[in-house]
Amino acid sequence: MKKALIVAAALAVLGIGSLYAAGGKDAGAAAGGKVKLTVWGRDLGDGEPDHAYVTALVKNFAAANPDIELDYIALGDPGLADKTKIAMAAGTGPDIFQSWGGSVMGGYADANRLLDLTAELKDVPGSAAASGAMSWKGKTYGVAPFFAIAGLYVNEGLFKANGLAVPKTIDELEKACDVFVAKNIQPFACGAKDKWPPLATYMYLTNRFGGDAFGSAQSRAGRFDADPFAKAAAKIQDWMKKGYFGPTPLGEAYGDAQQLMATGKAAMQVTGSWMCGQFSSKEFTDQTIGLYPFPVQAGGIGKETDVMGMTDIGFVATKLAEGKKAAVVRFLKYAMSAEAGAAEPGRISSVPGVKAPSKLTEMGAAIFGKAKMVQFWWDQDLPPNVTSPLNDTIQTFFLPQTDVKASLTSFEKLAEEAMGPAKK
Amino acid sequence: MKGTADAYAARKPGIRDWRRGAFVALCIAPAFAFLAAFMYYPIVETFRLSLMRSSGLGGEVFIGIQNYVRLFGDPEFLAGLSHVFSWAFWSVLIQLPLAFAVAFSLTFYMNKATGPLRVVYYLANILPSAITAMLGKFVFGPTNGIIASVASAFGIDWLRSVDFLGNPDIAFWTVFTVATWTYTGFPIVYLMARIEQIPREIREAAELDGATGWNYAVRIVLPAVSYPLRILAVLSVVGSLKLFDLPYLMTSGGPGNATVTLGITLYRQGFVNWQYGKASAIGVVIFVLSLAFTVAQFSWRAKEPE
Repeated sequence: MKKALIVAAALAVLGIGSLYAAGGKDAGAAAGGKVKLTVWGRDLGDGEPDHAYVTALVKNFAAANPDIELDYIALGDPGLADKTKIAMAAGTGPDIFQSWGGSVMGGYADANRLLDLTAELKDVPGSAAASGAMSWKGKTYGVAPFFAIAGLYVNEGLFKANGLAVPKTIDELEKACDVFVAKNIQPFACGAKDKWPPLATYMYLTNRFGGDAFGSAQSRAGRFDADPFAKAAAKIQDWMKKGYFGPTPLGEAYGDAQQLMATGKAAMQVTGSWMCGQFSSKEFTDQTIGLYPFPVQAGGIGKETDVMGMTDIGFVATKLAEGKKAAVVRFLKYAMSAEAGAAEPGRISSVPGVKAPSKLTEMGAAIFGKAKMVQFWWDQDLPPNVTSPLNDTIQTFFLPQTDVKASLTSFEKLAEEAMGPAKK
Repeated sequence: MKGTADAYAARKPGIRDWRRGAFVALCIAPAFAFLAAFMYYPIVETFRLSLMRSSGLGGEVFIGIQNYVRLFGDPEFLAGLSHVFSWAFWSVLIQLPLAFAVAFSLTFYMNKATGPLRVVYYLANILPSAITAMLGKFVFGPTNGIIASVASAFGIDWLRSVDFLGNPDIAFWTVFTVATWTYTGFPIVYLMARIEQIPREIREAAELDGATGWNYAVRIVLPAVSYPLRILAVLSVVGSLKLFDLPYLMTSGGPGNATVTLGITLYRQGFVNWQYGKASAIGVVIFVLSLAFTVAQFSWRAKEPE
């Protein structure tokens, strides 16, 4: 009995000891006196064209900084968002994580989980929109080497073959759609099954009808079921009924939409400039695709120079990295360097001096360059507790029986709970 | 049993002293600590959080039962609740009879194909949900799905335009069909094991009495597997309450709320909307419902004939 007691006690001590050893290790220290930086990313470092920047960034930074041990962990989407959320709630996590900035980053900043790098990053060159997206309440928490804008991707070959010009107004757009429907070509590839893809279209339509209606609703000067929102929703529903999004709009995921564009089965797609690389790649598509500003509404308020967009690839530092700020800043500055950005085959760089790698990127950069107003993605600019309902609401516009006004009023009620009542 | 324990205690009176208690406590401690840390504490914490307004990043505010009140006015939650009960109902009504029919056929007409077929039926059950969902999309997808491709090839336009995953009236049944394919494997194997335990003499006697296959199935086999069927029914119901992976991977709960489940709503509220309090309230609802059915399961077990 005594012997058994001793054995059990020894096992318990060993167990506690091993738990202590596992948890007590200094996560910041690496072998050989190196500083260890843990980076959680969305993009895999697998060498695929759309991950080329991250792959090169990790490889080249490690080579150029032998005193820093870089541990890059790719978590995908929504893996990165989910894991970051859990880690932040528990007060753990990486030193740096990939982020689009905006209100999600702001939530972490408000909870004092992020590292204020305003002073350290103030001289890093980059576009105002990109640094704005990575700032919250006047403080800068990270960098955005690439900035995405949404635009109208047009299959130029299909337009030419059907005697159509790239539409500049919504009326012209609808006429082109009618021609394509008559010829059994799907006018728009969308991917509404995934909920977020139609957001860009809806944002543009709302803007074209009512200008900065979103800004008004966001500041609670207006409501989310005001006229421009309702007109834009009704327009999407009307387009759906006319077959502009094809026969199965809610069954098509974003990947399906890409394929429809790549194979010439769809004539247009409203999406982000992150697709420039793939739509330029001869391996991905044999179609000739161009990127143009979203058309304007005759008599509407929004202008061609009102552009929807946000961080494409960005990085934010956490409070856990406070003791290794120098290494963090070195990584973030390298991420913003022309050298690191040179590997990217398609995205629009925020860094001056980085040459556009494709004709499509040039077209996107031109739209971005002329922008007089840049509206961040609504689902990254609103409080996190209403972003998922926002995309759910937009998806319902694709159902013929939806009362779009009632749907928007339901969303407005949620917004009131989260953001307070609207003034009018 | 009691007599044996008393006799043992009588022979070893010292065994009852504090050292025995300490030894037992020491043996139980690791398991108890594990359970306390990873099961009991999260359950208690979930109950506590369900009474709070919390984003998970601090600043919790006690709001009583407001999260529950809001839940029962939330169309997404109500849709999720309705779908899991529908799922449970149809699972019991479709998957279990199907499993019984297959299990009975495989055992009744036992031959060289029975073994391989048992593996084939069970194979779907061991596939990861992600693979199952991919296969489901491969069949029902609107652009490159098998059905859409075949319909296009043969010019069947009405079938080509059926949006299996995007039509709210059909999407639930599409996901359920894929689930039936994958989830029926386990009941088949479980029921086969039970049916194979029925003594061969009983079947021979039934055959001598002129019983047909149908009579044998309904009058002998079905009563013999009634208890396993009840267990499987309870497992189906509890599994339905916790359902998440397949609907999420195939449709993300959409279109609209057409395939949303309680698990998907919980995920969205907690991880996407940052509403830990509301998500915890959904967790409590799932827990209470699962507990109720588990208690029912144990009470059925108690009534099982010897």
